[in-house]
Amino acid sequence: MVHLTAEEKSLVSGLWGKVNVDEVGGEALGRLLIVYPWTQRFFDSFGDLSTPDAVMSNAKVKAHGKKVLNSFSDGLKNLDNLKGTFAKLSELHCDKLHVDPENFKLLGNVLVCVLARHFGREFTPLAQAAYQKVVAGVANALAHKYH
Amino acid sequence: MLSAQERAQVAQVWDLIAGHEAAFGAELLLRLFTVYPSTKTYFPHLGSCADKAQLLSHGRRMLEAVGVAVQHLDNLRAALRPLADLHAQVLRVDPSNFPLLIQCFQVVLASHLQDEFTVEMQAAWDKFLTGVAVVLTEKYR
Repeated sequence: MVHLTAEEKSLVSGLWGKVNVDEVGGEALGRLLIVYPWTQRFFDSFGDLSTPDAVMSNAKVKAHGKKVLNSFSDGLKNLDNLKGTFAKLSELHCDKLHVDPENFKLLGNVLVCVLARHFGREFTPLAQAAYQKVVAGVANALAHKYH
Repeated sequence: MLSAQERAQVAQVWDLIAGHEAAFGAELLLRLFTVYPSTKTYFPHLGSCADKAQLLSHGRRMLEAVGVAVQHLDNLRAALRPLADLHAQVLRVDPSNFPLLIQCFQVVLASHLQDEFTVEMQAAWDKFLTGVAVVLTEKYR
């Protein structure tokens, strides 16, 4: 469960309302694959990931990023029950996808950077703090069912 | 460790920071303390609620050290030796804190540079700062 103050919740939803969820997803996933190239290990079937340009324009990266971020968006509507919201996805990432939960933290951090890029000065320290709490909460929820 | 292209990216980003070390450094510290309050335990001299002047002063010092690192990408160990000694013998900042500082640094860059903050810059800068953190902590034991 993530404990956000009323002000933090307001910051999170206020900014999220202005986010192009589909685009930001692709950008975040693309940046993850480039800044932390070892994360490409999960995406052998995605085709050309050989250069930053190839990654950022890769259709499968964009599609998957969109899917991931729409899921994250669902989480934002259920901050009081992230573990419940992401229970099934947690099992999937453990049992089928075999993803080290450390990767959820990396993606969360990259997402925060992408939001900072989009919002500029509007992404204040308080906004960052709120979002870092949220991404940490989502990462924990996704790791919760690992066994 | 850094390719020629990555060094160029690091230098390009530094050009945008140079001359504004205090402002960038102050924002970096403010973000660090706001997002990761436990990091304040390493700055008791800044008081429980650091004021603007303190953040600017200490922030400038930290960014100037980053500037030194940028000028000596070929020899970080030699250039940062005094700082490495300081961190190992006096400050002893737990190594887990450096990624937190690096994340805040990326957010400062991203929020200031926005469209100019390319993925290549982010990747090069992350690699560079991680390298600096390694040098600063490798004498710990």
